[in-house]
Amino acid sequence: MLESIINKINSSERINFDEALYLLRRTDILDLGELGNIIRFRKNPDPHVTFVVDTNPNYTNVCTIDCIFCAFYRHPGEEGEYTLSIDELIQKFKESANKGVTTILLQGGVNPNLPLDYYLELVYRTRNEVPEIHPHFFSVSEIVGMAEVSKLPIEEVLQRLWDAGLRTIPGGGAEILSDRIKKKISHKKETSEQWLNVMRVAHRIGFKTTATMMYGHLETDEDIILHLESLRKLQDETQGFTAFIPWSFKPGNTPLEKIIPHYASSTRYLQIIALSRIYLDNFPHVQASWFSEGKKIGQIALHFGADDFGGTLLEENVHAAANYVSKSNTDEVISLIKKAGFIPVQRTTLYEILKIYN
Amino acid sequence: MKINFIDKSLIPIWEKIQNSERLSFEDGIKLFQTNDLISLGKMANWYSFTKSGDSVYFVLNRKIEHTNICVLSCKFCDFAKKKGEPGAYEMTTEEILSKLSDEIQEVHITGAMPPDWNWERYIDIVKSIHSKFPKIDIKAYTAVEIDFFHKKFKIPVENILLELKDAGLKTLPGGGAEIFSERVRRLLFNQKIGEKRWLEIHKIAHRLGIPSNATMLYGHIETVEERVSHLVKLRKAQDESGGFLSFIPLAFQPGETGIKPKEDFTSAIDDLKTIAVSRLMLDNIPHIKAYWVMLTEEVAAVALNFGADDIDGTVGEEHIAHDAGAISPMKLAKEQIIRIIKEAGKVAVERDVFYNPIKIYGNKIIGKIPYLNSIPIYHNLKIEGYKTVTLFPSQLGKMIANGDISAGLISLVDYFKNKDKLKISKWCVSSRNKVQSVILFSKFSWENLHKKRIGISEETSTSVLLLKILLLKKYNVKADFEIFNPSLKNYSEYDAILLIGDNALRELYNPKKDFSYTYDLSEEWYSWQGLPFVFAVWVEKQNFTDEIIVDDIIIKQNIDKNLSNIGNIISYYKSTISLSDDKLIEYIKGFKYEINEEENLAINKFQNLLEEINVCLKV
Repeated sequence: MLESIINKINSSERINFDEALYLLRRTDILDLGELGNIIRFRKNPDPHVTFVVDTNPNYTNVCTIDCIFCAFYRHPGEEGEYTLSIDELIQKFKESANKGVTTILLQGGVNPNLPLDYYLELVYRTRNEVPEIHPHFFSVSEIVGMAEVSKLPIEEVLQRLWDAGLRTIPGGGAEILSDRIKKKISHKKETSEQWLNVMRVAHRIGFKTTATMMYGHLETDEDIILHLESLRKLQDETQGFTAFIPWSFKPGNTPLEKIIPHYASSTRYLQIIALSRIYLDNFPHVQASWFSEGKKIGQIALHFGADDFGGTLLEENVHAAANYVSKSNTDEVISLIKKAGFIPVQRTTLYEILKIYN
Repeated sequence: MKINFIDKSLIPIWEKIQNSERLSFEDGIKLFQTNDLISLGKMANWYSFTKSGDSVYFVLNRKIEHTNICVLSCKFCDFAKKKGEPGAYEMTTEEILSKLSDEIQEVHITGAMPPDWNWERYIDIVKSIHSKFPKIDIKAYTAVEIDFFHKKFKIPVENILLELKDAGLKTLPGGGAEIFSERVRRLLFNQKIGEKRWLEIHKIAHRLGIPSNATMLYGHIETVEERVSHLVKLRKAQDESGGFLSFIPLAFQPGETGIKPKEDFTSAIDDLKTIAVSRLMLDNIPHIKAYWVMLTEEVAAVALNFGADDIDGTVGEEHIAHDAGAISPMKLAKEQIIRIIKEAGKVAVERDVFYNPIKIYGNKIIGKIPYLNSIPIYHNLKIEGYKTVTLFPSQLGKMIANGDISAGLISLVDYFKNKDKLKISKWCVSSRNKVQSVILFSKFSWENLHKKRIGISEETSTSVLLLKILLLKKYNVKADFEIFNPSLKNYSEYDAILLIGDNALRELYNPKKDFSYTYDLSEEWYSWQGLPFVFAVWVEKQNFTDEIIVDDIIIKQNIDKNLSNIGNIISYYKSTISLSDDKLIEYIKGFKYEINEEENLAINKFQNLLEEINVCLKV
């Protein structure tokens, strides 16, 4: 089986579901890494590893979705809940811009008390008042929430966000695109088909987005490959995804901790990185999430098929709520990439090159 | 194995590795400089497989640091305190005992060097542990501490080590080697012993029958050249004394120390390269340890595919690394260790301090004997879903008795002992007349071996009983047997030694000044019985389904194919045996691998003789 997979990869053919399963279950991790690398250097031949200078604030922690893998959210009225005003956020963004941040990755809970205008005004004012900043705002769940609150179709919500100046959307909230699993871990969230459909509509309007996957909880190997299959199919249709970002479930302080008490191993993460690089042959980039897996494993992932080191994440709250903290900054990210044996390249959210650190 | 090299300059090194050629200093530098991490890992992983199979060892251990009060002031250490300083502590023997329990297999004792302890206190720690917990393996006192004892108490190093051994010490830890460089020593730890003394103490220990570990502290101010030079010096020392069980690269933890390296922590790439290069350079050290406390659990897990075959253990309390800010959790439970090893695609093997297996965690395991004479059976024998564990015959016998092995070539005596649990096949390792790899090296002729002390290689299971039968039944001689570790090479201590496998073959062609007589036990058997001798048989564990794991025909095809191609595959396995390929091929061709009528007669004859001399064949 491995030999025929290698032949396929060498002749740029696609691998299928069964072959992916074989790679995940039966293939030595270094053989998998070697194959991941072949595709990585075919797609991005330079020894460059890109990163974006960004920050990841959260405008609200109010949420009614009750995902059992999340330690960040609060219900409306619960102690510790917060929602930032647009003025507060713009102020925050200005401070970030002064520190050299080029992208704000903004997500929140799904807060039913916020009207659509809040989001539209936030995008509009960010573009006008902090033009140095690229807004990379609102995951699919929040967009679905906006549609519910405003009673407008998804298309309309997305079009209005576009018109306000939003151009990219983060790929969070996909978790595992399997309704069997989603029912268990996030039963109030959009279904897999809904998630894919929001992305489809967004891509048609012209948005670029990323796609994520959270593994290491209740999913099976087959679920992981079906997730990749759904993404590959949609990407064939729209070409709207820029990068794929897998990360492992962090159990600390979450209700799911009782069932899944430990992190998936680093070996598993490297398998997923390499497999997704091979399977998602139509995705330009695969991101090493140093933030979720640790800096050292992030470095290793760059040798298993990842070509992007994500953001500098000057502020992050969601993993922090699960007692998982990994701080970094631009200088350190540059140094980590160099020490891993690559040339650091600062990029925009749309993967345009800003600076090569030779 | 095929490697798709990105860095083509590694290809000549890979060829050397596959030809069992020793790597040079320059090769070591090149390996450190490459950016082709995956290819480096694949080479090291392949090489590790040839030594240990898929095994990754761990131990239920506890680290004891009896005091942090130290007369030295090494710049890289933020553990040591001066007497009276806040945080300074000294443990009594009772406190130390209270931290141990029967569940622990190995205790690792190292500490600082306080000004006012007497020698009896150190001995008492070892003695008390040994008497209260006789099953715990005691690994205690680094070479730095041994040298300190020598200077402070004016006792020769030999006597210190012998007293400790008598008190119950099993091995020495590998700490205090730091980096073998006078330049770095002068800058960072000029009060500590240097490489010369460190190596000297370990060599003395090996000569006295005390194996040890070795370490290297990296990621501070040392150069790549100094790292490779450290490995080359260790390899040379191991050639001479043979007692290093494992090598442990230690990633430097800057913490609050006086040293400011460029990075807070070593990069993961550097950690993995160091593990891999160590595995490839140290061709004569059996095990490479990914010490998770220093590396982090996550990097240690990856290192298991980069040449490491040991992940240390449950550790318990770990003060030194944690005072310097290591980010690993304080304790990794046994289940967690087993899970990490399994997810890395390896087999978790619980061990003792000497790397004897205690339990194998997994249910589809092929047992493999690491001797040249078994390669016609094992080379390219791939069984889907099964992992390989490589062990000496005596160890494999124990694991067969445990029920931890699904199939494999096992020593004939272990088949006798576990007949009710095993199915025998038609494949074996047998010889007719000379075998060349089961040899008694003796200072006396057979007749004069009466009451003499014979050192028996700890690796053997069947050959030792063949020797016993030859002595009692053929020569009417009764000798005393003592098990010893052949790697330690302290052969001349004994009146005769029984070596088996590759050690025997190697020594057969080395000039022996101590032993005037060389007896080939298979030749002795043949001249006496006129039969071949069967050393090992292929067995499978009986199961309810009667399913066969490895079909007869698969083994047959494999043997035929390997024998016809032996000239090409011999180089992978010849390791440190410095015989010509022709000699090795002739050696392999001397074996028969199929059980026929004569082999059956030989098996029965041997079993009858064992019963005659009252050897118990029940476990």
